[in-house]
Amino acid sequence: MDNYTIECMVKGAKKVEGFASELMSQLESKVSFVIPIFNGISIATSVVITWGIMLFLVVLSKVLVRNLKMVPSGSQVYMEAAVGWLNNFFEDILGEEGKKYFPYLGTVAIYIGCANLIGVLGLTPPTKDLNVTAGLSIMSIFLIEYSGFKAKGFKGWVKSFAEPMIILAPINFLELFIRPLSLCMRLFGNVLGGFVVMELIKLVAPAIIPIPFSLYFDIFDGLIQTYVFVFLTSLFMKEKMEF
Amino acid sequence: MTTLVAIGAAAAVMTGIGAGIGIGIATSKATEAIAKQPSASGDINKALLLGCALAEATAIYGFVIAVLIILFLK
Repeated sequence: MDNYTIECMVKGAKKVEGFASELMSQLESKVSFVIPIFNGISIATSVVITWGIMLFLVVLSKVLVRNLKMVPSGSQVYMEAAVGWLNNFFEDILGEEGKKYFPYLGTVAIYIGCANLIGVLGLTPPTKDLNVTAGLSIMSIFLIEYSGFKAKGFKGWVKSFAEPMIILAPINFLELFIRPLSLCMRLFGNVLGGFVVMELIKLVAPAIIPIPFSLYFDIFDGLIQTYVFVFLTSLFMKEKMEF
Repeated sequence: MTTLVAIGAAAAVMTGIGAGIGIGIATSKATEAIAKQPSASGDINKALLLGCALAEATAIYGFVIAVLIILFLK
């Protein structure tokens, strides 16, 4: 091998090594700033971006509901279609008795959707932080158990662990922990996986080629995962409420 | 040590095989079902998506485990 080849190989190895360490640093959840009270409270980047999304959604919902009319026109048509679609989607699964849970589920759907799509703007998606998805899935499992509790009372709720027969009670009990774990890991793993693959593609081909992949990983996959998250949550709720 | 970590991560990602086969079977059955009964495509799509999400979860677990292996055993 001549000197040039060796030089190229060394360069390539260095590039890959640099990429590996950069990827690892990307995987950690970063701290944006520190509030200087009580020994300093550190605020993670995902929290700051979540605040941004919250602000955006609050402003959007304030602006969009100005002068509503009986006969919709303009942006009201689109908004009504979107809200109607969400409500129909949940009503198909939960039925009439689950109506009081629609606002929460819809909010989670809109939030996760925005959080997954924000990668398009070049910001870090909050769902790439394991803590965010863990929080969302813990809220989900609490809602699932609460809905069963509310629909059947305490006795019925305890009895639901012995369904369909008493011997399965340990499995049903384990599901209390497996369900949030699986919801959390599914969302986190998908977003992280998409991110890692995108970084690898960008390393190989920095221009033009990442665009179609970005369409798939950032937009399509993000929306599918949003759908799956709320779909599974409402499906588990239905199961708890019925059986 | 690095080699072992890499082999471990690669073995964890092998879960993708199962997920791929599972999603493939589910999709093939769903297309058959839609071809037989196009009017029920909405319900079939929902069931397919649920099955795909659950099957895909195994692959995702494998990926997460691989990442954890690389992060913590480095």
